[in-house]
Amino acid sequence: MKNESTIIDVPAESSSAMKGKAPLIGVASGSGGYKRGLSIFDFLLRLAAIIAASVAAGTMFTSDETLPFFTQFLQFEAGYDDLPTYQFFVIAMSIVSGYLVLSLPISVVTIVRPLATAPRLLLLVLDTAALAFNMAAASSAAAISYLAHNGNQNTNWLPICQQFGDFCLKSSGAVVSSFVAVVFFTILVVLSGVALKRH
Amino acid sequence: MAKESTTIEVGEPSTMTKSTSHVVVDEKKKMGFVVATAGGGYKRGLAIFDFLLRLAAIVTTITASSVMYTAEETLPFFTQFLQFQAGYDDFATFQFFVIAIAMVASYLVLSLPFSIVTIIRPLAAAPRLILLVSDTVVVTLTTSAAAAATAIVYLAHNGNPNTNWLPICQQFGDFCQAVSSAVVAASIAVVFFIVLIVISAIALKRH
Repeated sequence: MKNESTIIDVPAESSSAMKGKAPLIGVASGSGGYKRGLSIFDFLLRLAAIIAASVAAGTMFTSDETLPFFTQFLQFEAGYDDLPTYQFFVIAMSIVSGYLVLSLPISVVTIVRPLATAPRLLLLVLDTAALAFNMAAASSAAAISYLAHNGNQNTNWLPICQQFGDFCLKSSGAVVSSFVAVVFFTILVVLSGVALKRH
Repeated sequence: MAKESTTIEVGEPSTMTKSTSHVVVDEKKKMGFVVATAGGGYKRGLAIFDFLLRLAAIVTTITASSVMYTAEETLPFFTQFLQFQAGYDDFATFQFFVIAIAMVASYLVLSLPFSIVTIIRPLAAAPRLILLVSDTVVVTLTTSAAAAATAIVYLAHNGNPNTNWLPICQQFGDFCQAVSSAVVAASIAVVFFIVLIVISAIALKRH
């Protein structure tokens, strides 16, 4: 076994020139750029959903109506607390609005660090739960609103909207607003899923 | 800049070095391959769990829809104010429930091939993303049907004194029971869907 020692001369300029170029930085900001755009859109959508959810809760909460006359069979006063489903609606929409406000910092974290997956996964899981909760409140209140507008002849449930027009209008508006919040939540969940996708 | 010419003698030791370098390259390939199957292994486990959960959700939704569809009751006597017959088509919300849950059940059957694709190709992201998006849309439909039917079932059990809506469960006991169990089955399906969405999200996460 012969061993020969060799001397390789490395000129000083080439190493510093190579150090100056770092192609990795450009690639990282490229994929981070489009994910950062998704995060900014997510943040704006969250702000819109906060408005939709709090408008729904507030409108239902203040939908009281007192009739100026007296009828024999029905109360002359109607409010959200006369129907347990509407009570659930107000509480659920308030919880959803509170959750959205608390999730804003996590959304900001995904803007600042677009390549981190843990905040996005947390947001996706929580958003899915909030979506189901929101949809449950919205659709149960919609079923009661449908009954209030149309009644049910088979069970002799009379439509109360004919007496309480303002109450009906406001509660139906609150239900529509919470369905808008549901649409926002769906887009938020899909956004988080797309941003989690690896390349 | 001083350059030196060097002579490297290639003799016996070179063959030995060649064999060792060959082993090094093999090791690298082997390690890379092992890492790939390890990532694919746990994702494949998630995909199998996803498939099983889909089968369970199919059973649950078909049960819910058919129990609601066949929830009829005819009372043996005649009352002055209420009908002596109750069925799912007496309530618009229950009609919506039957149709919506049936649509969800057929969606689940159609999504089974996508789930199988994620088992075979655990590292592919496109099938998982499709499943995540469509599962999100379907979970809203299922929750909507289940929650609306729950509101009506609550009214049927308790009534509402403020609006003079009488509870009908006191007359139609069997109908009420069938309808309530259909609603419970649909709620269980909603829980399954939420778990499915979370599984797809975890499997999409890159490493």
